[in-house]
Amino acid sequence: MSQYAMVIDLNRCVGCHACALACRAEWHVPVQPGYRRNWVKRMGPEMTPEGMSYTFYPGLCNHCDHPVCVEVCPADPVDKVFKDFRTGKTKKMTVKATYKEPFTGAVLIDKERCIGCGACVEACPYHARYLDETLDEPKADKCTFCYERISRGEIPACVKTCIADARIFGDLYDSNSRVHKLVHGGAKRLQSKVVQIGPNVYWVGKPKDLNLLFKHYAPRERTWETVDNGIEDLGRRGILKAALRKGTRIKVL
Amino acid sequence: MKRREFLKLSTATCMAMAALGTGGKQGLGGGLFSPTMADASTGQLPGSLGAKEVTSVCEMCFWRCPIVAKVKNGKLVKIEGNPKSPVNGTRVCARGNSGVQLLYDPDRVKYPLKRVGARGEGKWAKISWDEALDEIAFNMDKVRKKYGPSSLAYFDHGASAEFLREIFKALGTENYSNEPAFFQCVGPVAVSYMSTMGYIVSGTRQYIDMANAKAILLVGSHIGENVHVSHVREYVEGLAKGAKLVVVDPRFSAPANKADIYLPIRPGTDTALLLTWINYVIEHNLYDKDFVEKNCEGFERLRQSVKKYTLSWAARICDLKVDDMEQAILLLARYRPNLTIHPGRHSAWYGNGDVGRHQALAILGALFGTVGAKGGIIFQTPVVKGHAECLKCEKLPSEEPETSLRDNYPFVEPFPGSPTAAIIKATLTGEPYPIKLWGINGVNILQTIPNPYDTMKAIKKLDFIFCEEMLMGETALWSDIVLPGATYLERYDGVYVYDGITPYLTLRQPVVEPMFEAKPPFWTAKQLAKKLKLKGLSCEKEEDFINEELKEAGLSIASLNKKGGIVTYPGKPYRDKDSLKVPTESGKIQLSVSDFADEDLPPVPEFIPAPAPPEGFARLIYGRAPVHTFSRTMNNLWLHNEWPENHAWVNDEVASKIGLKDGDTVILENQNGYRSLGIKVKVTPGIRPDAIYIDHGFGSRSPFLKRAYKRGASDQFLITHYKNDPFMGASSHRTDFVRIIKDGKTLNIPELVCVPPEIPRFQIEQS
Repeated sequence: MSQYAMVIDLNRCVGCHACALACRAEWHVPVQPGYRRNWVKRMGPEMTPEGMSYTFYPGLCNHCDHPVCVEVCPADPVDKVFKDFRTGKTKKMTVKATYKEPFTGAVLIDKERCIGCGACVEACPYHARYLDETLDEPKADKCTFCYERISRGEIPACVKTCIADARIFGDLYDSNSRVHKLVHGGAKRLQSKVVQIGPNVYWVGKPKDLNLLFKHYAPRERTWETVDNGIEDLGRRGILKAALRKGTRIKVL
Repeated sequence: MKRREFLKLSTATCMAMAALGTGGKQGLGGGLFSPTMADASTGQLPGSLGAKEVTSVCEMCFWRCPIVAKVKNGKLVKIEGNPKSPVNGTRVCARGNSGVQLLYDPDRVKYPLKRVGARGEGKWAKISWDEALDEIAFNMDKVRKKYGPSSLAYFDHGASAEFLREIFKALGTENYSNEPAFFQCVGPVAVSYMSTMGYIVSGTRQYIDMANAKAILLVGSHIGENVHVSHVREYVEGLAKGAKLVVVDPRFSAPANKADIYLPIRPGTDTALLLTWINYVIEHNLYDKDFVEKNCEGFERLRQSVKKYTLSWAARICDLKVDDMEQAILLLARYRPNLTIHPGRHSAWYGNGDVGRHQALAILGALFGTVGAKGGIIFQTPVVKGHAECLKCEKLPSEEPETSLRDNYPFVEPFPGSPTAAIIKATLTGEPYPIKLWGINGVNILQTIPNPYDTMKAIKKLDFIFCEEMLMGETALWSDIVLPGATYLERYDGVYVYDGITPYLTLRQPVVEPMFEAKPPFWTAKQLAKKLKLKGLSCEKEEDFINEELKEAGLSIASLNKKGGIVTYPGKPYRDKDSLKVPTESGKIQLSVSDFADEDLPPVPEFIPAPAPPEGFARLIYGRAPVHTFSRTMNNLWLHNEWPENHAWVNDEVASKIGLKDGDTVILENQNGYRSLGIKVKVTPGIRPDAIYIDHGFGSRSPFLKRAYKRGASDQFLITHYKNDPFMGASSHRTDFVRIIKDGKTLNIPELVCVPPEIPRFQIEQS
């Protein structure tokens, strides 16, 4: 069992935004409103019950245990063989266009199969996805935990550039990893009573800073439940699926 | 329309098309369901993986972090830190990451330009390099012959400006090297440490050991908002290891948030607090007696002169609580000598008293015995490199002017350059001698030097003004000739050595060929030398002088590159207090500086109150946005996107009294009636009611910077009143006041904090 995870230490973070820029540079994220895989939001200075706080929300996809973005993906499931880049082990799974990779727990998007419908973008309560409409064929996009890099022995771009070493990345199930130790030492998941989908980005910081982070950015809306999943939409999906099966190119006016 | 809604609407069409089987042609620029991911088809590794790597040195700010540039198919795709660098490793900051977008900025100066309209009007003709350099050489020669060598002035900053400096020097002016860095920024702190410790503990670099400190004091330093990677890393490292942090700042800054004790001081009273602490430390025997006896001079003079500064007095002056001030100094004292009393950096605040404030910081560091101690003030470790003869330029026979612009400032002496305020005044008035030509390189003077309105007036009086620029900022806008400069990613500079805690030697080198008609500054200077018939700058190309400089270190460009572009050396930062010898004349730390007394300046710092805001105004304070450098990165595609404009921080109580809401757009008006561009308000309890804060560098007035133009407000264009530091002539930046204009209505700032009678009120000059 494996789950890659990140711990962000707000005691170290100075809010320099290097992470967000390294990510944009690495993945050529287009400069458009709302287009980002990785972001820094600033909070405060504001009073909290624990004192004045001025802190940051360096966010990214949470690669959740229960990824609601995967649930809503309308693409037709297909069989796919996954390979663990560490052990070489393989595993066959039936997945949609977005799925949870079995060996890392990273939530990924199969860009070739993504139809660009944007359901996953709407579903994510952390607003971690965006629809890249600068492409000839729009595709959903988001943080991959730099799967492409880690599978080649590199570390995520944001971790590599973090000037304060505030981002700690590793396998949650490896008891020797720093991530494991920090999570078992009390690092917190950014969630609320209403939204608990198992985010794998964890937070360390002073109570006042975590207070502000949770106040402003813990998701409180079950966004995935309002993604249009009605009968009508199933009908639409049925048509899209049929088209996919036939490999038909469809002209859209 | 959202894509999914679009798809929904199109369902009917889809159905019809699918049924008809007519999907062969591509709609929307490509088959809707066809697999067209580029990486799969080209076989290239994703992202920056598999790129060609070139080591170099960053210049998104002046800190010079070692980098490695990643190039794919001749295009720069990514910049990372050089993994071999002992200071930043693989890391670069937001700006370092965004160097790619400086290189490829569509608003770059692409070819030499000649002004065709009025100065500042922004009308240009494209000319050839030869014509541009002919024009510059002709005017330099003409002005020099007509008005004398000193009528030439050169404002410069950074590595790219060094070659052209040789030309100005050779022409015989003393007005070269008028670094805004010195006269608007580090001048006062440099002078105070030079005089106290014998070396510049804080100039371009800060020689302090925060990573090993057990406690850190920051007075008006915003580490983390002000981002210099190794500096931030040392600070974070120290805190992570448990260092206590005391922050003194009128604004709840990023470091204030990390502080154990935060003191929201009244602006302009920092020296009162420091002198009170010095008195407290002496009175309560908290200082390191042994260290002071062995290594310091002037203790008795100091002791006598600080006696009058008591905690209860300071509480009133600084608007702080006695208990908080006392707890803070006790906390710091507990950890001596492993204590960083941060010397500060930008110190041109109030004109009067700036040197004294940093002198007080130096004294506090000395009393606690931090000099040479782990966690304290460290010593430089010189790194050997050669000096290339072929870079020198022979000076033409020139008469010295009878009066120097440096005359009024006795402690400017060890540094080159003349106070920028004196140059602007001489240009405006012709006194003490006329200045008729300006060259500018590496600095946007209108967004850096106080009272840009005077600067623009001065420019109008010049016979000639030229600059080398990468982007068409305000300074370029006001020039007669603009030369397209190569960015740091397209050129060599000299060999770079770092003499801090982990010394190294490295080299800036081109990553790609210069874009457009941009030229490296060495080439430009060499051509100009030829046209001016100067003898010197004889190296054919950059590699020649670099190899000459490297020879003494036993290296060449090729061998350095083989080693990963960087060579490190063992550091010798610490000294034993029993064998401490600082590089002052006597080898001792000067707690009282007799050289100051010789010039009728106070040998021991005194509290000189900065005048309080006039009624209805708050003091304008400023700092850095962490993703921006000076006014130079606001047009960068990625950095602009990250932080497109600044906000005016207004105290929440003040805001509610005058009916301001968070996000309101307002105009700031200073005490002389100068108004800013529109700026959004940030309402927060994290700033004192008597101050308004904005990030520096925004509010560009150059329409040629398409992204940055008119975004946010410029602090510089609100700084019209300034004083000059009597020691070295720096221009003050915190001597201006603003009120708010919303929907055309003037909103006076209510006075929520009493001003004690000891602090005079600023008198607005009626003109």
